Amino acid sequence: MTDDLNVLAGAYALDALDDDERAVFEEHLAGCQECTEEVRGLRNTAAEFSQLSQAGPPPELRAAVLGAVSKTRPLPPLIAGARVLPLRRSRTVALWQGLAAACALVAVVVSAWGLAQHREAQRATNARASVVQSLLAAPDVRATTTALKQGQGTLLSSRSEHRLVLIARGIPVLPTDETYQLWLMSESGAPVSGGVFRPDEHGNVELPASGNLDGVDRMGVSVEPAGGSAQPTLSTVQVIKL
Amino acid sequence: MTSMWFERSDSGSPKAEAAPTPEDLVAAAARGDEQAFAELYDLTSSRVYGMVLRVVRDPAQAAEVTQDIYLEVWRQSARFDPGKGGVLPWLLMIAHRRAVDRVRSAQSSMVRDDKYALLNTERPFDSVSEQVQTSLEAQRVRRVLEDLTPAQREAVTLAYFGGYTHTEVATLLKVPLGTVKTRIRDGLIRMRDALGVTA
Repeated sequence: MTDDLNVLAGAYALDALDDDERAVFEEHLAGCQECTEEVRGLRNTAAEFSQLSQAGPPPELRAAVLGAVSKTRPLPPLIAGARVLPLRRSRTVALWQGLAAACALVAVVVSAWGLAQHREAQRATNARASVVQSLLAAPDVRATTTALKQGQGTLLSSRSEHRLVLIARGIPVLPTDETYQLWLMSESGAPVSGGVFRPDEHGNVELPASGNLDGVDRMGVSVEPAGGSAQPTLSTVQVIKL
Repeated sequence: MTSMWFERSDSGSPKAEAAPTPEDLVAAAARGDEQAFAELYDLTSSRVYGMVLRVVRDPAQAAEVTQDIYLEVWRQSARFDPGKGGVLPWLLMIAHRRAVDRVRSAQSSMVRDDKYALLNTERPFDSVSEQVQTSLEAQRVRRVLEDLTPAQREAVTLAYFGGYTHTEVATLLKVPLGTVKTRIRDGLIRMRDALGVTA
């Protein structure tokens, strides 16, 4: 647990973070059980505030809501433990291409240091750059690039170090109540969450994740309700081969 | 508004029977039961609308946002996970996020008049108390909020009812951001423990 980030749990529970801060915190939340529980408790507490502001809605709102509801199909449930099938064939590019892309990214990120206006953003950028750099130093680093329905994703991964970084471009921005989630997938067993993420306003993503990659042969990216899900929403999953 | 898949039997039954919980109603809504959803609306709409109204201020906008919220809850009903907590916190989480999104997007298209904002948020807690609810639950929440330090109370209410980001709260209160982060978290933790809220 990072103390710096943990202190944001209160502001997160009150929706008092801006979009960038929220994305960084949600990234952290996906891997921190302690914070997840704290956030849950604080959100339940925040809900109690609404006891103090109760007010009856205008009577005509009821008919308007129910009218809209009767014309809308509820989303299907999430299926637990379901197998996720690749939607598109991925293409592995020569390692040097991936490395070049990653190095270019590092250069951009590093040069962005001097320009960063906010200390928090700077700290996050700093951490990301060093994650990419240290991963590139791993002896068994692999790079895979896959075209997604929109945009493309590059995965840098090291099985020996149990780490990977997803770098994606041209990823559509989601409404605030939805988030992307990364999944580690293997032939045997249910997908394991690799964290939630949101692209920046240019559709760029840099998501470091860690976990046991033994047996993991694909990564999935799905669209989930804010905060992420225990299992991927099948209809939205796109697959990147490792 | 009849149920598509099964008849609800409780419409004419004596009141003595246990009323369905919000969790039951969401489970039925997930199967397309519009009547159950109407009951959920009746059970929760004054909590949702009242909170949204406090945040966005304008009744017409509050009604619009509230309608969006319930439509979203209907769409997401099959994805509600009872293992992660109750229906009411889930619904209010969706609602608060939407209310805050509304004020923040309005703000980006029209710079908020600081003087107006300060005038109206100077005593956010006291203006809440003007509409004091008589319910025992509401009285309990009020007492717990009163037990916070004034600094904590101001920070949490500006964030929750004011819809401000913690950076904006820090600017409004003229204190460092780190101080506001701590006040908000400590204040909420104190309330959680006093109310006996569980994760």
